[in-house]
Amino acid sequence: MTLKTITLTVNDMVETVDVPQNMTLLQMIREKLSLTGTKNGCAAGECGACTVLMNGEPVNSCMVLAAECEGANITTVEGLAKAGKLSKLQDTIIQAGGVQCGFCTPGMLISATALLKRNPNPTDTEVRSAIVGNLCRCTGYVRIVDAIKMAAK
Amino acid sequence: MANAKSKEQVINPIGASFTRNDVYEKVTGTAIYTDDFQFGNKLLYARAKRSPYPHALIKRIDTSKAEALPGVKVVVTGKDFPNRIGLYLQDKTIFATDRVRFIGEPVAAVAATSEEVAMKAIELIEVEYEELEAVFDAEFGASDKAPLIHPDLDKYICPNFIFPKAHTNIANHFKIRKGDVASAWEKCAYIVERSFKIPHIQHVPIETHVAVAQMDEKGKVTVWASSQSPFAQRNLIAHALHISQSDLRVIAPMVGGGFGSKAGVTMEAVPVALATKCKGWPIKFILTREEEFYTNFVRQGLTIHVKVGCDKEGNLLALKNMMYWDGGASTEYGTNVTRAGGYSSSGPYDIPNVETDSICVYTNHPIGGAYRGFGMSELHTGLDQAIDELAEKAGIDKVTFLKKNGVSEGDVLVTGMIMHKNGIQECIDNVAKSLKMGEKEKPSSPDRLRGKGIAIMWKAPAMPPNPGSSAWVEMSEDGNVTVGLGGQEIGQGTFTVMAQMAAAALGVPYEKVRIAGPVDTQYSPYEWQTVASRLTWSMGNAVVLAAKDARRQILETVAEAWKESTEDLDIINGVVVSYKSERETSLENIVIYGMPKENNEGWTGGPIVGRGSFMPKYVTNLDAETGQGPRAVVHYTVGCEGLDIEIDKNTGTIYVLKGAASFDVGKAINPALVKAQVEGGFAQGLSSAMFEEIKLVKGVMTNPSFVDYRIATAPDMDFPLDTPFVEVPQDDGPWGARGVGEHPMVPTIAALGNAIYDAIGIRLFNPPYSAEKIYLAMLDKGLVK
Amino acid sequence: MINPHPGLPELQYVKPATLQEASKFLADNAGVAKPYSGGTDSFVRLRDGVLKLDYLVDIKGLEGTKELSFDPQKGLTIGAAVTMNQVASHPDVLKHYPNLAEAAASVASYQLRNRATIVGNICNASPAGDTIGTCMLLDGVLKVHGVDGVREVPLNSFFLAPGRTVLKPGDVVIAVHLPVPPKGLVGTYKKLGRNRIGDLSIVGVAVLGYPTNESASGYRFRIALASVAPVPFESFKAEGVLSGKKITSELIDEAAVATMDSVTPIDDVRGSARYRKQMVKNLTREALTEVWTKLSK
Repeated sequence: MTLKTITLTVNDMVETVDVPQNMTLLQMIREKLSLTGTKNGCAAGECGACTVLMNGEPVNSCMVLAAECEGANITTVEGLAKAGKLSKLQDTIIQAGGVQCGFCTPGMLISATALLKRNPNPTDTEVRSAIVGNLCRCTGYVRIVDAIKMAAK
Repeated sequence: MANAKSKEQVINPIGASFTRNDVYEKVTGTAIYTDDFQFGNKLLYARAKRSPYPHALIKRIDTSKAEALPGVKVVVTGKDFPNRIGLYLQDKTIFATDRVRFIGEPVAAVAATSEEVAMKAIELIEVEYEELEAVFDAEFGASDKAPLIHPDLDKYICPNFIFPKAHTNIANHFKIRKGDVASAWEKCAYIVERSFKIPHIQHVPIETHVAVAQMDEKGKVTVWASSQSPFAQRNLIAHALHISQSDLRVIAPMVGGGFGSKAGVTMEAVPVALATKCKGWPIKFILTREEEFYTNFVRQGLTIHVKVGCDKEGNLLALKNMMYWDGGASTEYGTNVTRAGGYSSSGPYDIPNVETDSICVYTNHPIGGAYRGFGMSELHTGLDQAIDELAEKAGIDKVTFLKKNGVSEGDVLVTGMIMHKNGIQECIDNVAKSLKMGEKEKPSSPDRLRGKGIAIMWKAPAMPPNPGSSAWVEMSEDGNVTVGLGGQEIGQGTFTVMAQMAAAALGVPYEKVRIAGPVDTQYSPYEWQTVASRLTWSMGNAVVLAAKDARRQILETVAEAWKESTEDLDIINGVVVSYKSERETSLENIVIYGMPKENNEGWTGGPIVGRGSFMPKYVTNLDAETGQGPRAVVHYTVGCEGLDIEIDKNTGTIYVLKGAASFDVGKAINPALVKAQVEGGFAQGLSSAMFEEIKLVKGVMTNPSFVDYRIATAPDMDFPLDTPFVEVPQDDGPWGARGVGEHPMVPTIAALGNAIYDAIGIRLFNPPYSAEKIYLAMLDKGLVK
Repeated sequence: MINPHPGLPELQYVKPATLQEASKFLADNAGVAKPYSGGTDSFVRLRDGVLKLDYLVDIKGLEGTKELSFDPQKGLTIGAAVTMNQVASHPDVLKHYPNLAEAAASVASYQLRNRATIVGNICNASPAGDTIGTCMLLDGVLKVHGVDGVREVPLNSFFLAPGRTVLKPGDVVIAVHLPVPPKGLVGTYKKLGRNRIGDLSIVGVAVLGYPTNESASGYRFRIALASVAPVPFESFKAEGVLSGKKITSELIDEAAVATMDSVTPIDDVRGSARYRKQMVKNLTREALTEVWTKLSK
């Protein structure tokens, strides 16, 4: 199978990568760029652990082909903290205690970051709807929802 | 002394809600999980060839085409690895050898240069089967009509507290015979007899199982695994493959959720088997989500027939439990779930006469293993709903009934063990108050029916009598403390709690303590397994002993240097102080280089290394026929949960208005982490109560994906949850603490079932209590048209 | 036994520059090439091995596929590459077709809706497709580019069977067009899943209504159902009930029962036929009541 060469921006860095044509964006991020913060939980667009921002909008990176990402702008969990300073949401999820095993956390942070960007003052229902595609088995979502509301204030 | 460091305000580490010590890495994406290790281009990818039949003989396996495929490095089958493996009952092999016993059982495996090549190779392996009659029901499986799934059961090795019945499908039959049940029924004014069927469910860690194995030229094996049990895996895999335990090294980094599924040994043995035939190459095996659902451990199904009676005043007099556990194709771990279900079969009730038969049955279903709650959720689902009805029959308010019969200090338990002091009364009060139990409240709309339910629970750590924990405590030149331990951080926060305990036992601030991770069997001290809610208690005891040992060494060093008695010395806030001479010195001055003695008499002390080891020595075996013995378990954690719900008359959908959960944790070392465990456990319990079921049709799981195996999402948990805890100290726990990891999901199905009953007057016997089941039950009863 | 591929099986990603090129490639590789927009359905089926392809043909750059526009004279055009979220949040959709926005927003999760498209939902022809019923009731017409050029296919003659449509090799759906909605239109989509939101539908009911002089009741109602028939289904029988007489809650009940009687759903892993029929009745009644309440204000 021939490789495809693509150039894209990931966490503000321009990257040129040779990717197999059946490679997903998730696989590219983890295997080609070694950004292993983004997780694979189902490879079927259901669990949300692989959520990244693509051109500012959250997507399941397991549902995107790397080959179609020419020119795309991707943000992963590693790109949320700027110059060593945690984002507000990273801070509030720590304060609220919204992290347990941590496997859903990267995707959860990305979904919540996107929510607060499009809706800075979400209601409880809006917060919960925004993360319906991010499964968490540890927390019961209680402190995750708290953290998102704290960050919105 | 006015500005002395020892006098600075310092938070007592015990009882403080410190932030988790692994959280920065987890929110920045830098925490390393097994699949995140980089192995370079030499990494091989494994896939398993799996049985499409629930029960069949393997007539022939031809791997030649797979072996010839370019990119394939090695193919292995069952004949290469005939030794049995198992935590309790050694009834399993790494690959099926002569017979397959469930759909998804591995019969062969391949390691290749890519997943695509490995998948192609799997398809090229030819297996010829001869299908056999299969067993899909535990009660049928236990009968003499059922075909035998393990004809060699009598030859399997197992510990002396597991009782398999040769030439049957019964892998364990645990009995309780306490008092005289037969004659007690006559004294009962009210009796309820009910049967419940609790389905198989899956743990659903968001990280699926993954393991990487590599054997070097000398035969030493390294395994990187997402694991709750690095030491048990070292022991069991080494045993099965005839490798020395010390030549098998398990490195276990962060775990993306376990809930029991990553305890014992399951798929981790597959890449190790491949690695032994392919020296030098790291081989990665990662389960797809679909494989996670049905090829690895699941929670066993349970059919429970419960009969319970009380006198006119509502005092429980007799209980008879008949439990058939659907253990699946192997019961190597599940036999002990059955045992736990047996020795705890009275629940937290004081009942003088109890007869229990807890029977673990082989079926051709997925393999049952440890699951958060270890049999207690299933047991309590039946028991607590029967008791709810009994209270109603006796005309006694449910809260009063529970309080009247709740187990208290000095009660003779179902095994003959004497109950320790506990806070079940306070737990019940907390929930009753939070939900205004007994107060009938109006639904929010005429389209809805409202109800409240309450249920109590207990659970003991379920394990062999003597599982050990150990720890070490070291210090560095900066006075910081490193704790070595072998229990796993699987999200529950144990690394944080251990750091708090070490800090408190040593006398240093919490921030000064680090945990030596990841757990690595080559360097970390031994820990049996991260299961049974036992780490806070067992590993905690070991860590405290290690910290106290280090503290003793420090104080002896200072005492000798200062010519004082250790009795007059203390460590406060990382500073050694003398109450006698009022001298003080920081730990960094002592812990590596020791201290100079006065008058130039040389040196004392040296690098500080504390060690601690803990193993309960007081648990006894139980009589095989009666289940009686002096001490069945180390202790019980008790608790109570309740739900206030509404049911939509148009759809049967449940809307939870409020939840309450209260557990007696002995001592909350970290209250925020305790509450977080309770919230998560409640959600998992509620998810299992409303949504979850492995749907099995002739052995095939028909819903092996998140599309059709639904778990609770954030909108489903849209209600306030009250979690006040109770602290009645445990005599053998550090600061009185006992575990609470599993307990919050134990009573939830029963509490919901009782709430549904309160709302619609219908008892449902087959969880999950889906909207469909509720609606159709209402329709059949004429509640809706 | 389902034992899917860990990732996507080997395939080629093709990105044609023009519609002609796309249609030719798809026709030349009939059976092994498929148009690809969001991929949310195809990826899952490719991993499962249910769908086997050599080529995914990305249509997102093709002319007209990114169009999302409203013309007061002509109506709404939704290109094949327009995502569910774009539709659900578009001011003109919210103003003129709020029921479509509601249906689109009911699909899966936010991040999935950033990939999933209305046209994809239609082309997959799943009986459970949440947006299909509403598009049918709004008299949607597909604009299809084939090897012989562009043609229009009304949705009411598009579906053949679960997963099967009238599309031929070489066909690329460019867009779905919804005419200007009738004056005074009110619509809703009622969906029942196992979870509160985000699930596939056990039953989905799309209802719309608007005032008209052409019926005795003074209103026209339309009802389409998801997950209860092999193809998206419009209950003309129930609509007939609501056209002849003055609308009352009894008549709405009667229409709900007629809707229920017009379908013969199946048992599957998501729900039984019996429950589905009951839910068709109850959700239809709920949807009709809601629409009628708004219409009669």
